[in-house]
This record gives sequence, structure tokens and C-alpha cells, in this order.
Amino acid sequence: MKISPKQICASTLALFYGGWFAPMAQAYALDMIVPDVRQPAAISGGSACPVRAHQLTAAGSIAVRWSTALNSNPVTIVTQDQTASGRLTEIEQVVAQSLAAWTGVSGTALVPGTLTPLTRTATQNACGPDGVNSICFDQADMAFTPGVLAFTRVITTDRLGVQLGSSAVSTQLGQILDADIYFNPSDSNTAYATPQALAANQKAYDLESLLTHEFGHFLGFSHSAVWSAIMFPFAPAPGTFSGTRPAALQPDASLGDDDRTGLRVLYPDPADAVHRGSIGGKIFPANPLALSGSPPGVTGVFGAQVVAVDATSGAVVGATLGGWSCTAPGPAQFDGTYRIDGLAVGHSYTVYAEALNGAVDPSKFINAIVSLCRNTVSDPGWPPLQGCVVPAVNTSFTTRTRPGP
Amino acid sequence: MSFVQRRRFLWILFLAGLALLAIAANATTLSQLRFEELVNQATAVARLRCIAVESRRQDGEIWTETRFETVEVNKGLLPDLVSVRMLGGSVGNLHSRIDGVPSFRPGEEAYVFLWRREGEPFRVLGWSQGTFRISRDARTGVECVTQDSASAPIFDPLTRQFRHGGIRNLPVSIFQLKLRKALEEKRNILGLEGRTNEN
Repeated sequence: MKISPKQICASTLALFYGGWFAPMAQAYALDMIVPDVRQPAAISGGSACPVRAHQLTAAGSIAVRWSTALNSNPVTIVTQDQTASGRLTEIEQVVAQSLAAWTGVSGTALVPGTLTPLTRTATQNACGPDGVNSICFDQADMAFTPGVLAFTRVITTDRLGVQLGSSAVSTQLGQILDADIYFNPSDSNTAYATPQALAANQKAYDLESLLTHEFGHFLGFSHSAVWSAIMFPFAPAPGTFSGTRPAALQPDASLGDDDRTGLRVLYPDPADAVHRGSIGGKIFPANPLALSGSPPGVTGVFGAQVVAVDATSGAVVGATLGGWSCTAPGPAQFDGTYRIDGLAVGHSYTVYAEALNGAVDPSKFINAIVSLCRNTVSDPGWPPLQGCVVPAVNTSFTTRTRPGP
Repeated sequence: MSFVQRRRFLWILFLAGLALLAIAANATTLSQLRFEELVNQATAVARLRCIAVESRRQDGEIWTETRFETVEVNKGLLPDLVSVRMLGGSVGNLHSRIDGVPSFRPGEEAYVFLWRREGEPFRVLGWSQGTFRISRDARTGVECVTQDSASAPIFDPLTRQFRHGGIRNLPVSIFQLKLRKALEEKRNILGLEGRTNEN
């Protein structure tokens, strides 16, 4: 483990490969949700351990439509082809290509056949909680402000048997019932260009980069703290694009390795024999007394960024926010655990870690309360024994490294 | 060069600078907002204390209304109680999530950059970029400010280093100075623009 001079870090234990363990802090920032254990176990699973938000992956289970209603004064979506039908074809190609970046990742259950063919709708305000996944380029929304280019609103459920509009009835915990992508149409200074039109429109944002990022949310990703990941929250500067343009031989070229690893974790392919490696451990304060003031259940450092780098290629293959773990029936324990799954076996990795070293309450910046913790305060009637303790501020670190076995 | 020519030259230089500034600001406004841009674009800036949070469905969509008590107003006019409406939240067994939308807990305080259009409720400008949470060191009592979008360390694959952007763990007193300076700069630019127009 390498520790940079500025890193205020803890010790890492139990470096190991393979196997399946109880849920714990997982890489690539995935949306999590705690099942509603107030409901009978038959529909809640009976465990307050967080589960991942996700789409279904059976053949033809993900449908996406996009609204052809486009802002024309000023033009928000800039295309090379200026004919009416040519514009729509060009935009549709970008939508398809952005989705194909995700279905083109090897070693996942998310494949092109998971999607039904893209459809169009001429409806002006096609986005809404109707159980239909939609993309809207010209739908005014009360949520936009300057600084927000696009967003994806994802609706999940915490129990089985729930339906939203015309969505499928939930058969899996954390199943996404509706995911809509909105582009900011209200600012006359902002335009989005297709890859063909970007070079000639240097003030426009790259439509493909933004759509690929939003499809990551659509599939259950949160933002990544890795600069090179497509899930990094800030868009590339106008006139530029993220990563490499996809090609027929590498449709996922625009993604970062961190994104690919995350997808393999979120939608694992049981037949994948390559990406079965895991690195895990715990992050502790060097001085155990630093936790003396923490609530019961907090025994490690929560809120440390842990990054795995392939020692040969130098690629950032996974990053996570450590550290919690959970064993059924829950709740999550903030014991400093981290785990990076979906790693190619037979490789060596270097793990970097950086704790939040200031007066930052970790529960504040990843909506941890909502994603990982539910208790009698957040949810009336929540069983106290499965109530999650919100981690406290933990800023008293000193550096000491203990090598793994 | 005569005095008049020199003055004219300086004015041209100044106006060209202003124009360049406007172009540069425009190019970055809608992605990563600089602190000065946040100050300029905000309808109001204030230190607020969260007193209640409520999610409800409206036309099927889940919205969360957060009510704040106004502690200190730095820009704009605000009543003693302010409501901010943001998309997302939980109602029943449905959970609506939008990454980057800030959520607040009763009792917590933050400097919030508010933005709204005429006749609409307040929103948080730039979402995580316009949220500066205040935390108090239990031992020293010192209050610090951290911008939501800056709270996580970012890993730079090229340098293999963690980086921190934005405002992070800044003592409230220094944050206030920074805010005051940005507000004064804005007033100065507006003042100069006013004088330029008069000329």
C-alpha cells in the first residue's frame, strides 16, 4: 500500500482475492437502498442491509424512448445534418451509442439484448414518473438551476410488489421502476452538440459524454471520485469530450476502467471467469481511542476514499468510499470495511487511501442516511434492532501502515 | 501618447478585459461554477438553519421541501423563514434519487446559495456546488465550512494523488471574508459598468 505524504490514512488488513462476503462498502459509488423491514419478510427480504439500485437484465427488459421535441429557438441540440429527419437520426445515433457504451462492457449481464429497440415519442413533456424510461431535451423542469446541465431522476422501491405507472411490478429489491434523463433546455447560452457537430461548435457541450454519464445513473451508478471515470460529476469543458470515442470494436471506449468495474459488480455475469477478484480490508484510526466518542456500532473509519490501481497498466480499476459492512438482518455497521470487487484475477494492484481529514461529517456528502441508514428517526415504526447508527465525525487520524498478509 | 489617448487606450483595455471576462464566465457557468460565479448568479446567499424536511408527491413526482430559519443574510432579501424545493425524496416505498441534489437534516446549518425565477420557489444554485455546510469542532468550538461538491477527495489517475477542489474546512470567519470580497467585487463591476454606460 502506498501512502502519499498528504494522505492521512489508516491501516489496511486482510488483502484477499475471490469469494463472496456480506454486503459492504462497494466501489464505484452505486446507488443503495435499505429494504423496508417494517414489511413482512416475504416482500422486504427481512434484512436491513442496503441493496443496490439496478435495472432488470432479462432479455428485452429495459425500454428507453426519447422525445423528439427539441428546442428550436435557440437550437439546443446541435447536429451536423440540418434536415429535419437527418437531425433526429443523428441524435438517435448518439443516444444508441451512449447506451451501447454500457452494454459493450465485457463480463456483465447487461448486453445489447437486454434493451428493447429505442423508440421515439413526439410528446413535449414525455418525462415523468410513469414507469416509462424517457429522455427529454426540451422539458422545462423546476429542478434546473445554472450549473446543472442534465440529470437523471431514478425511482426505486424498497420492497417487492410495487408498480409505478406502467412499470413492471418489482420482483427484486432495489429494482428501478422509472429513470428519466432531463437536459437543461432553459438556458439560451447552453447547447449540446453531437460528435459530428462538436468540432464546429466549440462552445457546445458534448452530447455523447453527457448522455453516457446520465445512462450510468440510469443503470444505478452514483458519482465517482475518479477523474477519468465517465461518472465523475463534472462535464468535460465545452468543445471537448470524455475519454475516447466509441468504435465498432470497442463500443465502451468512452468509459473509464472504474466505470467498467462498477458495471461488472452491479450486473455480474456468472460466466465471467476473468473479473472475479476482490480486494478488501478495513480502515482503522491508528489510535483506537479516536473512536471512543463514537456511537455504538462505529468501530472503523467511514468516509475514506480507497482506490485500486493496476500495478502493470497503471489504470485506475476501482474506487470506493469505505467503510461499512452489513450482515443480515442488518443494519449496516460502520466498521471501516472496504471492498473492491470485479477485478481481473492474476493482476497486482496498488491500493491508495485517503480519509476525510477535516471537519466533514461523512454522512452529509453521499446521502448516507438515505442510502445506508434507516432508523426510528427517519422512518416511524422502524424496528429498533435494525436501526442504523449514523457515523460520527472522525477526524483524528495519524498515519501508520500495517502491511497485509 | 497624449493623456487623452492614454486614457482612451486604458478604457479600451478595461472594456476588452470585461468582455473577455464575460466570455470566460459564460463558457464555464454551466458546468463547474467558480465561487465568484456562484455569488453573481445567486438570487440570495444566506446562512440558514434547517428546521423541517418534508417529501411529498406532486403530479406523481416526489419533491422535498426543506424549511429553514434565516440566521444571516449575505445577499438578497429573505424572510425569517425560507422554503427550498428540490426534486427527489422518499414517499412510502418509493425513493426518488437525483445525484447531486443536496439534502438537509433538521438542526444543521449551511451557507446556501439560493436561486429562483420570478414567482417560483427557491432552489439551491448548482445543487451540491451551492451548498456550504457548517460544522463545529466539538473541542475548540471553531466553525468550518465545506462545499458539498468539494467534500470528497478526488483521485487523479495521472499523478496518483488525491486532490481537493472547491471550499473545504474553511473557518467561517474566512469564508465570510471571501464572500464579502466576492460581493464587493460584483458591486464594483456593476458600478463601473454603470459609469461606462453613463459615458
